[in-house]
Amino acid sequence: MDTSPPEAMIDLIKVSKIYPPEVQAITDISLTVNRGELLFLTGMSGAGKTTLLRLISRMEKPSKGMIDVAGMDVAKLPQCKIHLLRRKIGMAYQDFKLLPERTVADNIAIAMEVVYRPKSSIEKRTRDLLEQLNLTQKYTARAGELSRGEQQRVAIARAVANWPEIILADEPTGNLDADTTARVMDLLHRHNRKGATILIATHDKTLYQQDTHRVIELSFGRMRAPQAEMPDADDAYGEFIPPVSEV
Amino acid sequence: MRFFTVMLRHTCRNMLLTWKSQGMTLFTVSLSVLIFSFFYLIYANALHLGAALDDDLRLIVYLDEEPPPPMQEEYRRKILKFDQVERIEFVDSAQAFKRFEQQLGDNRDVLGGVPADFLPPSIEVYPIRSMDSLSRIKRFSDYLQTLPGVLKVQYGKEWIERFYSFIQLMRVVIILSGSLLIMTTTFMVAHTIRLTLLSRQQELELLRLVGATNNYIRTPFLLEGALQGLLGAGSGMAALLLLFNWIKLQFAGPATSSLLPFTFFSWPVVLLIVGLATLLCVIGSFSAIRRFLQL
Ligand SMILES: Nc1ncnc2c1ncn2[C@@H]1O[C@H](COP(=O)(O)OP(=O)(O)OP(=O)(O)O)[C@@H](O)[C@H]1O
Ligand SMILES: [Mg+2]
Repeated sequence: MDTSPPEAMIDLIKVSKIYPPEVQAITDISLTVNRGELLFLTGMSGAGKTTLLRLISRMEKPSKGMIDVAGMDVAKLPQCKIHLLRRKIGMAYQDFKLLPERTVADNIAIAMEVVYRPKSSIEKRTRDLLEQLNLTQKYTARAGELSRGEQQRVAIARAVANWPEIILADEPTGNLDADTTARVMDLLHRHNRKGATILIATHDKTLYQQDTHRVIELSFGRMRAPQAEMPDADDAYGEFIPPVSEV
Repeated sequence: MRFFTVMLRHTCRNMLLTWKSQGMTLFTVSLSVLIFSFFYLIYANALHLGAALDDDLRLIVYLDEEPPPPMQEEYRRKILKFDQVERIEFVDSAQAFKRFEQQLGDNRDVLGGVPADFLPPSIEVYPIRSMDSLSRIKRFSDYLQTLPGVLKVQYGKEWIERFYSFIQLMRVVIILSGSLLIMTTTFMVAHTIRLTLLSRQQELELLRLVGATNNYIRTPFLLEGALQGLLGAGSGMAALLLLFNWIKLQFAGPATSSLLPFTFFSWPVVLLIVGLATLLCVIGSFSAIRRFLQL
C-alpha cells in the first residue's frame, strides 16, 4: 500500500473554530494527511491541538472551512451517520474518558462491542493490548483505581482496539516514563506500519526529534511552516528537554 | 444475534444500576394492571351473567282474552318489527295452567277445583341478549303496553334496571382505572428510564464517541421499558388470578358455585392486557429517550 499514489485521508481546507463567545481556537488551517501517514502535531499549551483533533472526529463543528475525513464531509455529516465516521477513528483523549466504575477490560471492550465483535475476539484483543502496554495484571482492575499513567495506556488501548483506519492520539505519553513511552510509541508505530493514519498531538519533543515523520506546529491556532527537519531549533516554549530516550 | 445479547446485557446492567426505582416501577405497573383487570374481570363476568340469565330477560305480555290466529299474526308482526326481539311465543291459558302445575310439583293438589283457564293467555317476548337491548327494555315494554288487548307487561324490572345501572357504573370505573393504568405506567416508566439515562450519561457519551449507532444506544432503554411492562403486567395478572381463586374459595358452597358461574379471562384476553401494558411502557420509555437523549 506504500507504493500506491498518496491518497488524502484527512483534508482540512481553511478551517477555523471559534468557541462561543469569542475564543479563536483555530484559525485558517489547511492540512492534508495522506493515508498511512504518521504526523506529529505540536505547539504550546492552548495552541489548539486538541481542538483540531476534536474537529476531525466531529466532536466539534468547524466555524468555517471544510473538513474531509475518509471521503466524508465531516461538517455536513448528519447525526445519524456520525457513527460511520467514528468507527474509522480511534481517539485517545487527553482526559482519557474512561468509565471509572468499570474494569479496564470493559473500558477497552466498549469500542469493539459497538461494532458487534464476537466476545472471544474482544477478549483476545484486549489481553493482547494489555500485554503490549505492560498492564497484564490490571485486566480486572477498576479504571478509576489506576494511576494516571496506567489510565493513559488504557485510553490508548481503547483507541487502537478496533484497528481503526485513523488514530488520533492526544498527548499519549504525557504521564509516562521513558520506557513506557517507548512501548506506547512502539504500539502506534506498529499500527502505522499496518496502514493506519496516525495523528499524535504532543508537547514531548523526544517523541519526534529522532523521527523522520512530518511535524506540524500550531501556534495560537495557526499553522507554522513545517519544520520536520529541525524541530528543536525553534524552542517555542523554553521548557526542560529531557534526555533523549531510545525510541 | 450478537446484537441482542449485547443489548440484553446492557439492559440488565441498566436495571441493576437503578434497581430501587425499577422495583417501584414494577410495583406500580403491576398494581395498575391489577386494579384495571380486576374491574374488567367483574364487568366481563357481569355481562356473562346477564347473558346467562335469559329467562329473567323475558317480557311477559298478559292478554285479556285468547287471541284468534289472525290476531296472533297481528301481534307477531307488530312485535317482531323491533329488531331487538329474538323470538316470541304464545302461551294460552291451558299451557300456562300446565306450567303452573309443574312448578308446584307435589303441592299441585291445591289447584283442585280451580278452572283450567283461570290464568290469562300471554305472549312471551325474548329480546336479543345484549346490553343494548337491556337499556331499551323499558321503552319497549311501554310500547307493548299500548297494544290492544294487553292487560299488563311484566319483566324483571327492578333486577334488570339495577343490573343495567351496575353495568353502566362498571363501564365508568373501567374507563377511570384504564386511564390510571395508562398514566401511571407511562409516567413511572419514563421516570425510571430518565434515572437510568442520567446515571449512565458518561457511558452514553462515550458510546457515541466510539461509534455506536443510535439504535445501539436506544435499544437497551426500549427493552428496559418492555421488560418492565412485561414483568409488571405479568405479575399483576398473576396477582389477579390468585385473588380470583381466593374469592372463589371463600364462596365455594355446594349451591353458589353453580349459581355464580365466574370465570377468569381467557388466554387471548390475558395476552392482550399484558401486551397493551407492555406497549404503554415502551411508549413511556420512548418519550423519555426522545426528551433526554439528543440523538
Ligand atoms: N470547550 C471550549 N470552550 C471554550 N474555549 C475552549 C474550549 N476548548 C478549548 N478552548 C480554548 O481553545 C484554545 C485551544 O485549546 P486546546 O484544548 O485545543 O489547546 P491544546 O493545544 O490542546 O492545549 P494543551 O496542550 O494544553 O492540551 C484554548 O485557548 C482554550 O482555552
Ligand atoms: Mg490539548
